[in-house]
Amino acid sequence: MNVIIFEDQNFDNLYPLTYLRPIYELKCGHTTLREKIERMIGKASFYYFMRDYLAPVFAKKLGKEKVNQLEVLKSDAVLIINGRLLAIDFKIDLEGPDGIALSNNQLVYARIRKTAIEKIQFENLNEFITAIASILPSKNVMATLIDYPWNLIQNNSKAIVDDFNHIEDIGIHGYLSNQAAIVGDKNLIHIAPGSSIQPFVTLDTSNGPIIIEKDVIIHPYTQIEGPHAMDEQSQAFGGNIRAGCAIGPVCRVRGEIEESIIHGYSNKHHDGFLGHAYVGEWVNLGAFTTNSDLKNDYTSVQLYIKGELVDSQDMKVGSFIGDHTKTSIGTLLTTGAVIGIMSNIVTAGTLIPKFVPSFCWFINNHVTKGFGYRHMLTTAARAMERRKVQLTPEDEAMLNTAFELTKEERGFWIKKGFRS
Amino acid sequence: MTVEERVKNVVAQQLKVNLEDIKNNSDFVKDLGADSMASIELVAAFEAEFDVEMDEDAALKVKTVGEAIKFIQNMLDQ
Repeated sequence: MNVIIFEDQNFDNLYPLTYLRPIYELKCGHTTLREKIERMIGKASFYYFMRDYLAPVFAKKLGKEKVNQLEVLKSDAVLIINGRLLAIDFKIDLEGPDGIALSNNQLVYARIRKTAIEKIQFENLNEFITAIASILPSKNVMATLIDYPWNLIQNNSKAIVDDFNHIEDIGIHGYLSNQAAIVGDKNLIHIAPGSSIQPFVTLDTSNGPIIIEKDVIIHPYTQIEGPHAMDEQSQAFGGNIRAGCAIGPVCRVRGEIEESIIHGYSNKHHDGFLGHAYVGEWVNLGAFTTNSDLKNDYTSVQLYIKGELVDSQDMKVGSFIGDHTKTSIGTLLTTGAVIGIMSNIVTAGTLIPKFVPSFCWFINNHVTKGFGYRHMLTTAARAMERRKVQLTPEDEAMLNTAFELTKEERGFWIKKGFRS
Repeated sequence: MTVEERVKNVVAQQLKVNLEDIKNNSDFVKDLGADSMASIELVAAFEAEFDVEMDEDAALKVKTVGEAIKFIQNMLDQ
């Protein structure tokens, strides 16, 4: 049985977070959607399908023989799973009868024997899915599929608790200063080896567990409330990290953070509030960058998704910030702001608009091309070098495609700003 | 309006300087006070005014108003 994790056509609902990664590489809780699916299935042969321009980068991470290999669909029985599935409180068995499981008419998973596959014709994954949907019996299941970026935030706390419950060696294996305070149950804290919890740190598990991975440093005067997860080599430099935060690897955080996901290799190194937000990789939030996650009239937050305002039906929604984007000191992000990838936000103390496209400089309330794309690539390479990571030719090719994909949208906003 | 007049109008509006102070030999940085951010905005404003797309590196090498007029005229002629 080959297990296929794929991204369906809804990947663009999660732009800008999915411009540079398949949808199942997004975090929800301490782990990604893919890692949760793999954990749910257990030991198996996993294969991955994604947009072609992402494949060279993720083939390096997941294995070349594992990515976009169509022949895998023909070589054995297949369990195919939608990468938008949030595999919490949900079980798919590796073995079982052929069939399709749907949630709100969306494919959650399908299982099909090799003999049945041999009877269908297909030349790509979409054709495969269409073909098996026409021949297999279907059933409805109660499953959570991530439809929009704010769904990741809505499920983040629950996902952290689930991740904590799957840790096999829960305990305090790193350094915990005797001058650090624990509020709540100490058994709800996992501190991996090599981590350091310094004096005058408060770890509060009253409302959920706390995961501190390897080589993390929590500096003095940091309060962390569970549910919380901080991944390897990240550091907290003080402030109040409130419940429901998942900080990825190699991040620097400080200030007030609430119900947010920081994907990894990003800095929020200064004071300022970040709430109900998803921050991509290689982002730098300048000092006192603050986002709103609640409108003053307590109505639900609307966000720009594919050029249209979509009502989140949720009154607590913060910002979604694409990879490699930087904000200047004092940036104020309006409720439900969506900021593209590789953009540079330079503000003059006023709220930035709800949407800023990718690969642009936002200056004095104008969207511009800045110093141009080559300059942006140079900046990205420089930022990555600081963390001993190289911008590879594969990364560059992926960025080139994303730049082209966002060209029309960027042009529209540049013209709109200067003609209004 | 000529290209020269349109260029000077955009410069006056973007850099908040009087139209009569803008000469063809005015240097954007030394004479008109354009910093790097203002230069980026100026390029964007020229693109919007003339409906052209400029190469950023080439556009940001332009030093004077006269050079900008020539640069844009060349683009329009192509």
